Amino acid sequence: MSIEEELKDIVVSIVHVDKSLLHREGTFKEINADSLDIVQILLNAEETYDIEIPDEDAEQFQNFGDFVDYVERCVAEKGKV
Amino acid sequence: MTQPLKGKLALVTGSGRGIGRAIALKLASQGSDVIVNFFRHRDTAEQTAKDVQDIGVKAKVIRANVGDPAKIDEMFDVISNDFGYLDILINNAASGVGRPVMDVDIKAWDWTMNINARALLLCAQRAAKLMEGRGGKIVSISSLGSFLAWPTYAAVGVSKAALEALTRYLALELAPKGICVNAVAASAVLTDALKFYIKDQPESAGHQQATAAGRMVTPEDIASAVAFLCGEDAVMIRGQTIIVDGGTSMAPFIFGGGVNI
Repeated sequence: MSIEEELKDIVVSIVHVDKSLLHREGTFKEINADSLDIVQILLNAEETYDIEIPDEDAEQFQNFGDFVDYVERCVAEKGKV
Repeated sequence: MTQPLKGKLALVTGSGRGIGRAIALKLASQGSDVIVNFFRHRDTAEQTAKDVQDIGVKAKVIRANVGDPAKIDEMFDVISNDFGYLDILINNAASGVGRPVMDVDIKAWDWTMNINARALLLCAQRAAKLMEGRGGKIVSISSLGSFLAWPTYAAVGVSKAALEALTRYLALELAPKGICVNAVAASAVLTDALKFYIKDQPESAGHQQATAAGRMVTPEDIASAVAFLCGEDAVMIRGQTIIVDGGTSMAPFIFGGGVNI
């Protein structure tokens, strides 16, 4: 499964939204994710991929696609080490 | 320097930074090996472990979200497999949602209670089994918010009150196993957590508060109290919450109180 699909599953497990509503251009606000949901999504992603997503980086995410790209970069960087 | 905890093994939850890190280093300085638990910041946890090792004792890093029962089980499975025993549990990891009480929804409530209060229950249940036949010490970090009230602190304050109540019940029921259970309640301690909590408040809003002692409480002040409770000199202290606040709570109208996340 791709990282994007895995992240969708994480979001669905926390926000309980239909997976088909998640797309790269969509925002957490559009799926009614509140601040605590977003924290849990970030923590879940950090734990799943053993990465760190600093709050200041997370605040720059404009949409779900930004989040996916960021996690993919982190995983790729980790693979290089 | 005497090492009253020489040969002991301590688990300090949330010990990558702040109060937990100070406790890990203090216990190490008294001879205890330390398991450094963290959730988000591996780098700081690894640094704490390195600093513990530099003191001359063993350290091990375990990642686990103590708000998740499955992760608590996984952490204790590792401890059980790698060591097979535990002498000291420091229930320090904490989180919380700072909202006015009317805005505390079920998710915020559960999040805060699970990390701050339920984690003590689940960790103590597993720790007590690893302390079987050898006794042990369990110390939790609480807050003046368990009995004083501040705006937006309701969820955390209630979770700390639950933690202190659970401390008394654990102290009673684990006493026959030779396990001492206590808590340390801190006032405002200048850590990253406090900086986060008060980031929208003016500098004068309490975090640089005066105390009767004339300075803010430091993580090392809390660590000293915790280390005392982990020693044999404290064996007749059971189920208590020791307040370490520089005297703030004895005169709240003078010193204004303060929070420890």
